[in-house]
Amino acid sequence: MKKKIKKYFKVWWLLSKNSFMSMLSNRLGSFFFLLGKLIRFFIYLFFIIILLKGTNSLAGYNLNQTVFFYLTFNLIDIISQFLFREVYRFRPQIVEGTFDLVLSKPINALFRSLLGGADVLDFFTIPPLIIALIYVSVSLNPNFFSIILYILLVFNGLVISAAFHIFVLSLGIVTLEVDHTVLIYRDLSNLGKFPIDIYKEPLKGFLTFIIPVGTMMTFPAKALMNLVDFKAVIISFFIGGMFLFLAIKFWNFALTKYSSASS
Amino acid sequence: MKKYLQVLKITFQQEFAYRLNFIMWRVRNVMQVFLLFFLWESVFSDPSRQFFGYDRTKMITYVFGILVIKAVVFSSRTIELSRIISDGTLAMYLLKPINFFKYWFTADVASKILNLSFSLVETTLLFIILKPELYFQSNPIYLLLFFISLIIAVLLFFAIVFLINMFSFWAPEAGWALPFLFIVIIGDFLSGSVFPLDIFSKSAQNIFYSLPFPYLVFFPLQVYLAKLSIPIVINGMFISLGWLIVLWFSMKIVWEKGMKKFSSEGI
Repeated sequence: MKKKIKKYFKVWWLLSKNSFMSMLSNRLGSFFFLLGKLIRFFIYLFFIIILLKGTNSLAGYNLNQTVFFYLTFNLIDIISQFLFREVYRFRPQIVEGTFDLVLSKPINALFRSLLGGADVLDFFTIPPLIIALIYVSVSLNPNFFSIILYILLVFNGLVISAAFHIFVLSLGIVTLEVDHTVLIYRDLSNLGKFPIDIYKEPLKGFLTFIIPVGTMMTFPAKALMNLVDFKAVIISFFIGGMFLFLAIKFWNFALTKYSSASS
Repeated sequence: MKKYLQVLKITFQQEFAYRLNFIMWRVRNVMQVFLLFFLWESVFSDPSRQFFGYDRTKMITYVFGILVIKAVVFSSRTIELSRIISDGTLAMYLLKPINFFKYWFTADVASKILNLSFSLVETTLLFIILKPELYFQSNPIYLLLFFISLIIAVLLFFAIVFLINMFSFWAPEAGWALPFLFIVIIGDFLSGSVFPLDIFSKSAQNIFYSLPFPYLVFFPLQVYLAKLSIPIVINGMFISLGWLIVLWFSMKIVWEKGMKKFSSEGI
């Protein structure tokens, strides 16, 4: 098992290095892309600050809390994009039939399609984001237990995000549609930019249990603020595990539908 | 005229050929409205409160207005220009006995008609589901000014998109990046498509108003909501027309320079 993990880490490192080299070959494009992301991040942050200065609270949360929700959303979103960027490049493999080459290699096809090309551009933005999270969280007076719970729930959020991306890949094999599906996932997860308490029922319940954007983005921040009970935490981990299980089942089903039509 | 009608028809057929893509694109637009609607609903949980000069009805109308106006202004086929310059297929268009600018503008019009039709259906459905209180403008002068500002917005967006996509003449490998930065990021925020620009300070608003972006979405919506006096609206229209002239001439100049650079090497 240890040997297997070592092998997969080595492959991941190699693929990520290749991805970085490919990024360096298009420096201008990468610069604009990163600049665009940073502008979007800061404009939204600025908007939240102005909004909360005018209204004092949003769904009962003050400025620091709302900013913390926003930063947590960004942390999960950026780590997901860093890890799962290969999903955005999956469609041509299916349409052109080059997915055959992935299937014929002695490496797990899901691993290759999901994690085979980390986006280094996103990686650069993670450390400053973590510093910002620590800075804002100080004003929320977390205790040791809530910090641990926050880290675990962020990890659970990443598991749900991985499940979403596996669903997108599987749907891509079945329908040949990936580009818009992954962007719909991005739009759905964007609903977690603000605490899901701003939504009314039944949408709020839908975003907590069916498309668990709330579990993914809002619950970690709530845990750090000591605003979730033990039952909700257990349900969150159950949803995370269940989602991943269903996604892998769907992936296995989708593989049986792959026809290698274009090759 | 006949050949442009054919372009219109062909563009319709192309849009329908990729139905799933089109439907997904519309779903995304609706989802963005959901976020904004519930965000502002939460802010205006007390209906008697006013924020940034908006009451609840006008803010929700602004959110619904974004859906419709974006369908009219931001729906565009000209965004493909960067790709056809980069991969060299531009040469095929140049060989056709058709005005290149009119060709893409006609394709844009087809895309706008289709998107507008869908956005009106979506707005009706959202209206039935969410039951929002909306503000309906009844003053014919404001309605007339609103339609004029919308036409200017359409022309402005065409010029901006055309101009930015021509960056591919000089950097074909990064041709997608500048449109991404200007249209998806800066344009989206500075046009007021995410939030109204009058939540910012007066000095920031003055800077925004001197740029072409607010005239794409924010300004037409301000006119519709009658948030500006008629002299200010007229003044804004002159600024946007000024931008339109500058961008239109820049577009022609950059095109001529780009043509000298273009080598169709991708084919």
